[in-house]
Amino acid sequence: MYYVAKVNSEMCSTYKCNMCTLYCPEANTLMYDKEPKHGNENGTSWVDEDRCKGCAICVYVCSDLLNRDCIEMAMVTPDEE
Amino acid sequence: MSLKYMTPASKFKRYLPKDYVELVDYGPFGKDYSEVGVKNMGTFKELVEEHPMCSGCWMAYYIKIIFASLPNPEDTVTIGTAGCGRLAISQAAVPFIYGNYGDQNAIASGLTRAFRQRFPDRQKDVITIAGDGGMMDIGFSMTMHAWFRREKFTTIMLDNEVYGNTGGQESGMSVEGAVLKMSPKGKNFGKMPATQLAITAGCVYVVKMSPTNINKASKAIRRAIFAARKLGPTFIHAYTSCNIEYSIPTPDVFRDAKEKEKGRFAFEEYMTPEAKELFATIESKKKREVS
Repeated sequence: MYYVAKVNSEMCSTYKCNMCTLYCPEANTLMYDKEPKHGNENGTSWVDEDRCKGCAICVYVCSDLLNRDCIEMAMVTPDEE
Repeated sequence: MSLKYMTPASKFKRYLPKDYVELVDYGPFGKDYSEVGVKNMGTFKELVEEHPMCSGCWMAYYIKIIFASLPNPEDTVTIGTAGCGRLAISQAAVPFIYGNYGDQNAIASGLTRAFRQRFPDRQKDVITIAGDGGMMDIGFSMTMHAWFRREKFTTIMLDNEVYGNTGGQESGMSVEGAVLKMSPKGKNFGKMPATQLAITAGCVYVVKMSPTNINKASKAIRRAIFAARKLGPTFIHAYTSCNIEYSIPTPDVFRDAKEKEKGRFAFEEYMTPEAKELFATIESKKKREVS
């Protein structure tokens, strides 16, 4: 079990914003999908959970700086195959 | 040289590592900066791969910006040395040379000269990226002499104000009074004036900054590379905090970088008149192309 960022894509796609992807310190982790989602005009950010190290800088950007609360940290369990 | 040499045959793709194929299909090689620059991070495959740097490391973030800002990644060579930074720099899809501790700028001098002899018709960029220990403490003489000789390459110092990789000993760039390992009563003297030394030694473009504005950070890196191609040595001194040794909770790393920007890492930019002229030409040309 470990912490990763989870994007609420429904909320995220209501804003024309990709700030979190610009401030994630890990490369290729917090990605942006330009295709419009959930009937809104904008795309959404999404997290590659295998790469996320759980620093929560994206939560600081989304919640503290922009007041949008679209990202939260969540505990995940890797699939056991 | 065309970029075809790195494009695999379509049937061979499924036997290649996934990361390689992704770089060929979605990577920044051969594309225009307006398509793959820092503003579009998250929509293309970045050059840096997974690396073992700590969670929330601001140095990893700055390294990510450096690689996303390269004007010509297929013709760039990076040189690093011992320290945290090389853990990520060596994981990028750009050739990397590992120097013995401190001699990265000496290697870069030779490499720049060799490139100019071997590829007189092509522009090869050489960038040295090292920490405060590699650049200002142990590699001090080689860094300074490369600048005195006016070698044409870019030097980027990732200043975390501590020897992070070896467990948190004081470095020449730690602030006065900082309580660290090897300075239990607080450090006795202040930070070395790295940017002033660079200006005195003859760098044509010198920047001190805390990377909180991604466009500003990227612009400084690109200017440093463009000036190094034509004019002489360039130097960037960037604040990249060590959240482990300075006990900064990871969600507050960005906040800390912003605080430092208001204090000792306030944005400073120095350029010679020739460099100013060069940037004016390059940047006006770009604006014309866009409009």
